[in-house]
Amino acid sequence: MSQKIRTAPKQDSQSTGTIAVADASAQVSMDPFFHILKLVPYSFLRPPRLRLKLPSFSLPSAMTVFSLILLTYFMVVSGFIYDVIVEPPGIGSTQDPATGAVRPVVFLPGRVNGHYIIEGLSSGFMFVLGGIGIVLLDLALDKNRARSIKVSYSIAGISSVVIAYVPGYLYQSFELKLFY
Amino acid sequence: MTTVTNMPLSDLLKSFKLKTKQQELLIRVSILCLVYILAFITRLFSVLRYESMIHEFDPYFNYRTTLYLTQNGFYDFWNWFDYESWYPLGRIVGGTLYPGLMVTAVLIYRILHFLRFAVHIREVCVLTAPFFASNTTLVAYFFGKEIWDTGAGLVAAILIAICPGYISRSVAGSYDNEGVAIFALLFTFYLFVKAVNTGSLAWSLASAFGYFYMVSAWGGYVFIINLIPLYVLVLLITGRYSMRLYVAYNCMYVLGMLLAMQIRFVGFQHVQSGEHMAAMGVFFLMQVFYFLDWVKHMLSDTKLFQAFLRITVTCAVVVGTIALGLGMLSGYISPWTGRFYSLLDPTYAKDHIPIIASVSEHQPTAWSSFMFDYHILLFLFPAGLYFCFKRLSDATIFIVMYGLTSMYFAGVMVRLILVATPAVCLISAIAVSATVKNLTVLLRSKNKGVLTGSTKGSSSSRASSKALLDQSQPFQKNGAIALLFGAFYLLSKYATHCTWVTSEAYSSPSIVLAARGAHGNRVIFDDYREAYFWLRQNTPVDAKVMSWWDYGYQITAMGNRTVIVDNNTWNNTHIATVGRALSSYEDEAIEIMRSLDVDYVLVVFGGVTGYSSDDINKFLWMVRIGGGVFPVIKEPDYLVNGEYRVDKGAAPKMLNCLMYKLCYYRFGEMLTEYGKPPGYDRARGVEIGNKDIKLEHLEEAFTTSNWIVRIYKVKPPNNRW
Repeated sequence: MSQKIRTAPKQDSQSTGTIAVADASAQVSMDPFFHILKLVPYSFLRPPRLRLKLPSFSLPSAMTVFSLILLTYFMVVSGFIYDVIVEPPGIGSTQDPATGAVRPVVFLPGRVNGHYIIEGLSSGFMFVLGGIGIVLLDLALDKNRARSIKVSYSIAGISSVVIAYVPGYLYQSFELKLFY
Repeated sequence: MTTVTNMPLSDLLKSFKLKTKQQELLIRVSILCLVYILAFITRLFSVLRYESMIHEFDPYFNYRTTLYLTQNGFYDFWNWFDYESWYPLGRIVGGTLYPGLMVTAVLIYRILHFLRFAVHIREVCVLTAPFFASNTTLVAYFFGKEIWDTGAGLVAAILIAICPGYISRSVAGSYDNEGVAIFALLFTFYLFVKAVNTGSLAWSLASAFGYFYMVSAWGGYVFIINLIPLYVLVLLITGRYSMRLYVAYNCMYVLGMLLAMQIRFVGFQHVQSGEHMAAMGVFFLMQVFYFLDWVKHMLSDTKLFQAFLRITVTCAVVVGTIALGLGMLSGYISPWTGRFYSLLDPTYAKDHIPIIASVSEHQPTAWSSFMFDYHILLFLFPAGLYFCFKRLSDATIFIVMYGLTSMYFAGVMVRLILVATPAVCLISAIAVSATVKNLTVLLRSKNKGVLTGSTKGSSSSRASSKALLDQSQPFQKNGAIALLFGAFYLLSKYATHCTWVTSEAYSSPSIVLAARGAHGNRVIFDDYREAYFWLRQNTPVDAKVMSWWDYGYQITAMGNRTVIVDNNTWNNTHIATVGRALSSYEDEAIEIMRSLDVDYVLVVFGGVTGYSSDDINKFLWMVRIGGGVFPVIKEPDYLVNGEYRVDKGAAPKMLNCLMYKLCYYRFGEMLTEYGKPPGYDRARGVEIGNKDIKLEHLEEAFTTSNWIVRIYKVKPPNNRW
């Protein structure tokens, strides 16, 4: 490898020299396609003067990517793919035996591996809210902010985490009925 | 000695006092030891409740092959042709299985025998999965240490030790590939991330050998060989190309690919199959990047280099695409197989491959399954992602990618929640560790309050803030203490939930059923083993048994008889033939059964006990699979107005097909429930339609004590008419 480093720059300086000369003249080109194109359409066609720029590709910031990821996480966790393939109803319904009125049923009873659409979406939303709550708590503990913002972040964070635990709590109340 | 006894007690104790670093090491090691033991014992519920036996269906095949390996040695095992299953086709076992699990179990067995512990191979098989789960917690600790810090590593070890998503497939008795494969997966990922972080050749080679172990253990290695190239691609796009990455990926890919080709089941797929092409493409892209980096190092002119860069990248991409296109068109590179294609397009399996769609583990995931398996990790995961994005490095980018891709696949298929579990545990551990660290830093900042108050006063340039901060210190401290208690409460709820789920949901051996009797006592149904042992003891040695493919492995392992189809499901036409036989009228079915040399037919019936995973509930899948190959069988013939019924209003074809007759033979006289007419099917909740069943070509051989398994003998053809 080291021998190649010593010999290569000599050739490179020669090639850069020739190419620099070519750039300087700008008319005498070795490219055959350039000559053909100069002759065939562009001797009688004149390209218009446009100010085009190749779109430059810049990477999005980390937090932009994070918010996109939160969105996809919400869709996955709320069982979106299950909704698309199995197509369950939006919400279930039972008939009250006494009055005959139709009452909505939120949670699909009797099984763990199914859900109604609304229960899936709302639980997914609460999980994402809980995650954002912890993020807010971390932002609240950051030293360089005004105190009022810190307090509001911490309160919002704590309440979000408490809300996020609601699906778990509701879930436990009826999963106990499943196995007993 | 007299000087020692003259020392007061407090001085004696002080001489034993450890320095802080030693204290920390002691705490860490003791936590890891406790977690190791915890991961093992939490998986032992079924061994304590029932007995040490193998669960489910697939593990019986693994057990049978392990038994063969201990009795006949590795060479015979590697070249084994099994004539006892898939009669009359047979199965090339040596070339169609992943040997990692069996070889590991036999290795442990040999080591124990060398140490003069004379255990039976069945005990080793039953306890292999919990042992490897404990090892996974250790790997999770080291991985967490690599990504974040030791605190996150410890939390990750604890979370993964009891996470139900992992326990479901690694409980004691679940002797299946995944028990070992998750350990191999996490180990390979840890070694690769370590190699990328250090750039050392030794770690890269270790990761190649880890990959080899994973390839030998499970078909899910395709996930590794696609995730790592995707990760390398993301690093290249975000401008994190470095010599470390080059060394790590090249070594791992080349050596790993060569080692993977040693497994006969994998063969040349690494260069021929479409699923492995991403790794090859990224490999060539890495060489292009290295070449460009070298040229940049030579050139001094940046503008020239930009032009060169553009030309080279365009050329490389064009050449790569043309090569890939040529490979696919000529058929050398095979397209994605159905199993993996259905992960990218979930609707594909439903329309085209009923066998894949019929497996209950392959259904998409509902939120309640996620909740059941993850509990609080579900909202710790996005918080952990945030922390990873805050401190981006090569290692955190990897864990984020692993987490996201595995969560997507877990959403597509319930079974893949297992693959996502390590990532979810690691990322949640980062969230927990970072939050707790923030809170405890707040708690510990007691004496620095004045100093920080002054600096904050100057930075925020508010004169009154200093006084406010001094006042708010105790409030913040109380808040921090309250939040720590809240975190402790959540984690203890997690532990309670996990233990409850393990005990109730994931510790059932499936081959032994349990239910609660009328007085709350536990009633055990051991019908499956009763039937298989009857087969073993009361049928001729060369008898052939026809049943639905679910029970094939168990019949060969425990009943020791030849089966027609089993869980390997490698030949769809053969399974469709069996499905056609079971869904036809008895006269047509006997022709098929005589052509297959069938002696006994085995069906599973849950009408007496209320067992809902019986053959009548699976019957529509038999019709669909049979109808997929033989258009004679049409699904609407068995339905009434699109509804599947077995009572008086059922379709006539349903009431007279072979499966109906075999399941409900003599059931019309049976009283199953108090207050209901005879012939009341407890699993479907209806009274059956056709009670007077006469069998012409079969006779009943055995029915188990709770009518769950019923075996029928095929009568030889009549001598004289």
